[in-house]
Amino acid sequence: MQKVTKAYHGAPAIKDIDFDLRPGEIHALLGENGAGKSTLTKIMAGVVESTAGRMLHRGQPVRFATPSQALQAGIAMVFQETSLVPSMTVAQNLYLGSESFLNRLRGIYISAQQFLQSLNFPVDPTATVATLGTAKRQMVEIARAVKHNAEVMIFDEPTSSLTPEEKRHFFALMRRLKQRGVSIVFISHALEEALAHSDRITILRDGEHVVTNDTSTFDRDTVIRAMVGRSLSTEIYKARRTTNQLRQRGEKVLSVQDISMGNLVRNNSFSIYDGQITGVFGLIGSGRTETFKIVSGIYKRDFLRGGDVELRGRPVRYRVPAPAVKDGIVYVTEDRKTEGFFETMSIAENLYSGLLAAGLDKATFVSRREMRTLSAEWSGKLNIRAITDNAKVIELSGGNQQKVVIGKGLVQKPRIVIFDEPTRGVDVGAIAEIHHFINALADDGLAVVVISSYLPEIMNLSDRILVCRQGRIVEELSPDDATEEKIMYAAVH
Amino acid sequence: MRLDSLLDHFRGRAVTIPPMDGALRPNTALDDSAAELLEVAAPDNLVSGGGQVFYSTGSDLLRLPAYGEGGPAAVARFDAPVSTLACSADGTIAIGLDDGRILLKGGAVDGQTLAPAAFGGLACPTALAFADAGTLLVCQGSSAHRPSDWVVDLMSKNASGSVWRVDLAAGRASRLAGDLAFPYGVLANAPGGGVVVAESWRHRLVRILPEGGVEPLLTKLPGYPARLAAGADGGAWLCLFAPRNRLIEFVLEEDAYRADMMREVERAHWIAPALSSGAAFLEPLQCGGVKTMGIHKPWSPSRSYGLLVRLDRTLRPVASFHSRANGRRHGITSAIEQDRRVLVTSKGGNAILGLSVMP
Repeated sequence: MQKVTKAYHGAPAIKDIDFDLRPGEIHALLGENGAGKSTLTKIMAGVVESTAGRMLHRGQPVRFATPSQALQAGIAMVFQETSLVPSMTVAQNLYLGSESFLNRLRGIYISAQQFLQSLNFPVDPTATVATLGTAKRQMVEIARAVKHNAEVMIFDEPTSSLTPEEKRHFFALMRRLKQRGVSIVFISHALEEALAHSDRITILRDGEHVVTNDTSTFDRDTVIRAMVGRSLSTEIYKARRTTNQLRQRGEKVLSVQDISMGNLVRNNSFSIYDGQITGVFGLIGSGRTETFKIVSGIYKRDFLRGGDVELRGRPVRYRVPAPAVKDGIVYVTEDRKTEGFFETMSIAENLYSGLLAAGLDKATFVSRREMRTLSAEWSGKLNIRAITDNAKVIELSGGNQQKVVIGKGLVQKPRIVIFDEPTRGVDVGAIAEIHHFINALADDGLAVVVISSYLPEIMNLSDRILVCRQGRIVEELSPDDATEEKIMYAAVH
Repeated sequence: MRLDSLLDHFRGRAVTIPPMDGALRPNTALDDSAAELLEVAAPDNLVSGGGQVFYSTGSDLLRLPAYGEGGPAAVARFDAPVSTLACSADGTIAIGLDDGRILLKGGAVDGQTLAPAAFGGLACPTALAFADAGTLLVCQGSSAHRPSDWVVDLMSKNASGSVWRVDLAAGRASRLAGDLAFPYGVLANAPGGGVVVAESWRHRLVRILPEGGVEPLLTKLPGYPARLAAGADGGAWLCLFAPRNRLIEFVLEEDAYRADMMREVERAHWIAPALSSGAAFLEPLQCGGVKTMGIHKPWSPSRSYGLLVRLDRTLRPVASFHSRANGRRHGITSAIEQDRRVLVTSKGGNAILGLSVMP
């Protein structure tokens, strides 16, 4: 790619970027959210067209108008948010676009089963995609790219929702693809992954190329400095806090006793306190998300013997989220694209919809002025950066989208805020801002819950750590005596 | 919510157990931080008076050796197991026996015996406390069972306990409260005034009202409360002798099963709380309480547990000391605070422990 530029509404998202990819190399593309990584890779994969510059494929100038053109040329992209058809089965999704004139479903299932097994992905090919969790959807997405025998594969945050075991399989797969001569572009916010598995690293900042070099010339700090222009590692994952630095618990605000929901949540009991950040760690499938979705009225607990939830001593049983929101419980989702925002609406409209949902809007009719005031206030508080004021949320970077989702929840004036994977798919700069904001909420006396799969995040943010395993909290640890090993031991044993 | 209260009659209330978190967050303090002062079989009933500390084991009353002394000194031996003790400031000791008698030793009432008849028949002295030199508070755990039959009382879902005030000079007893579910601990001059009782089968602390009846103070405890002791800071210490777990709570709901179990299974192997567990393979395997890959998980639900809770002046928990499922110092039945440390009896762990206390 030579001098590639892409502008939205006249404002450049990337400017004059040069990028080259060698045959059979793993190339990590790093940068803060909004740095232009996704835009650059979307141009490669034909999802968007560049405004200026040119792309050469095997020495020949190319210009892809659609992803299918890029795929025909051997360039496939696995998106950060999966693009599968939820109502179709895994096998149907794998063969979508390459079906023969007459299809035999059984044959597709058998061939899909064999293919998934060859990749070591434990996914049932007959399962409907809508019933799969995020990790398994990601696996199907990856499998689909491999299926098309692409010679260039672009992975956008492929491991963000995978368990450690699944990540090992994924990186083994990446190495196998490399041996077959496949070139891989690999976007990740987990810097250790990029440093451990890539051959070269390119770093973008604010839509501009900063550096490209062999991975051996980088370490964590140099990468972060290049990404953000400052060293953030000490700011984000600072040294362990002592007992005195931990916040003392306030009043017990939420008491959950033996709640159950099928096999996902089993007799789960815990309490949440004001003025503290309660970190919840668990591997995927441990029931942590489901537990807090029950608390916030998104899921319903078992009808028979489903347990008790008490909010400040008052028994509550929410069937929909609205009464929970009115009671001050806000859940900030891990799946922002599906559950977090209206992607074609503006930032202001999204924030205002949060206000409407809580019934806190002042006017009888939708007030544009109130909407603008609200947007200005929360964009400032959360430092939401957009190219224009009317930018749709889908046009924002992952970090800014996440801030919109957080803002949409916080305009509802909650007393309990539940953040589910608040920094998934978010760059290091935005991580620091989001962490700072979460800490400020707890300092203001709110009860804050942070669900995360990332141990350093849990250990640095939490005032107490709950470990979830097989649908229930099995252990509570204090960050001053917790170690990653202790937490993981409780999570897996 | 109104609909739920109606529906609950048909769909069954959930079996719920309060979580051990907040001030009750599990730790291993009883196993790791407590010093073993004395190894003794099933110690119980730590009391202090006249500068000395007494305890019981079986039918014996003994004095705990002071620092630098040799072994414990025998004070008395009785013809029935000692179920409870109290000691007044002047050194008078009240001894409750498993057969229901309460004996008084020392002071102006030396040699006096309070017969079960004074408490309306078969008496079950589970806790004693001197309100003043001439007044003794007596907890009768049950009107149907002896103290050593506590597990039968629990499995029978009895609530026939009572609390009595005894005027020792006049030898007259008056009932302060009745229909209690196994009162197992009493604090005579409790923080906030009045008499506070640990009602074990209802997992709560209650204050006895002057006009009769009780006022709940601390409810939904995650275990079965036992003795209470005054704290030096104006608060109190609460012992919980066994944990609640879902299997036991379930069995307590299943009347027919429970009746069969009580009739056909040996008492030691009932699905019921215990002061210690894990010694016999015939014991009921309790959910995850079994070892996997040679490791007994500390968070396993278990029949026995060690838990001592520090309460503040409003009788709210502020700290706790645990011996978890994989620990040894279970069955905490009594405690007293003395010289900036707490002495604790681990009846299930056969030890008297000493814990340093931060002011």
